[in-house]
Amino acid sequence: MGEYRTQMKIIGDILSTTRDDLQDEDGATVTYLIRKANISHSRISTILKTLVSQGLLERGDSQGSNRYKISQSGREFLQAYNSFTKFADNFGLNI
Amino acid sequence: MEFLLENILNLVGFLVGLAIGIMAYIGFRNTGSPTLFRLTIAFSSISLGFFVIWSGYMLEDFVIKSGTIERGIQTVGIVIQTIGYFFIAFSHSIKSFFPKSNYFRSVGILPLFLVSTVQLEHIFRSISFILLVYGAIETMLSYRDNKNKGAISVAIGLTLLAFGEFLGWYSFVFPESILYTISMVIKIGGLIALFIPVSKIPLKRIKFDDDLDKI
Repeated sequence: MGEYRTQMKIIGDILSTTRDDLQDEDGATVTYLIRKANISHSRISTILKTLVSQGLLERGDSQGSNRYKISQSGREFLQAYNSFTKFADNFGLNI
Repeated sequence: MEFLLENILNLVGFLVGLAIGIMAYIGFRNTGSPTLFRLTIAFSSISLGFFVIWSGYMLEDFVIKSGTIERGIQTVGIVIQTIGYFFIAFSHSIKSFFPKSNYFRSVGILPLFLVSTVQLEHIFRSISFILLVYGAIETMLSYRDNKNKGAISVAIGLTLLAFGEFLGWYSFVFPESILYTISMVIKIGGLIALFIPVSKIPLKRIKFDDDLDKI
């Protein structure tokens, strides 16, 4: 059975991918993020829209498709996310 | 000796609860995680509960000087702590904690109005014990999944608090024995074990950002 992921974990996975695991310097395509974050297209569209509007991701156009890169705020958020994931792990909980 | 230990226990409990509660709150403000919000309530309550009991002892020592702490204050402190323990257990998804039948729900609270504060203290100590044991077991089980050594320390901390709570309750049977003193020493050990892994979390360079709350 697959591991249940909270919304926060999915956001963490998306941001981690855009920070550490990019295909090229232009950023990650939606298809690439879907594969890496293991999430449906409809769900990732909503999340990406929110992350861009919150300034955690930057959207750019390259080769006719949207590309996503992590912003400075996104890096700070991811750092906080990683720290507090460890914090919650100590209590046997997922954030 | 008992008075001194009681003061140390309540001060350590207040400070540890406050530190973990603040950390959880910073986490909640930064990530908007509901889990961290529940932990904030849990440890704020635990901290406040210890503070209320400590205040009771201080009040007794400097103002009332009757030789024993006002039972009502002690009971209020224990009730507030129990709320904190409930939120720790609740974070582990207690799904059937309350009785489903409306009848049992309505009469379930009735005994609380029929007992004295001493009996209330016993009731809440036993509820705390159950919640702490549940939290300790769930935390230990989580170690199987995440292999996080901090989880073992937290589980040991919760177990020691539960055992201390049990001994504290049992000491009413043997009021003049050393049991209550041992229970306080064990609870202090439990609080320290709770704090050790949390103190290792790097919180440098994390700042508040109101925009992140909306995620």
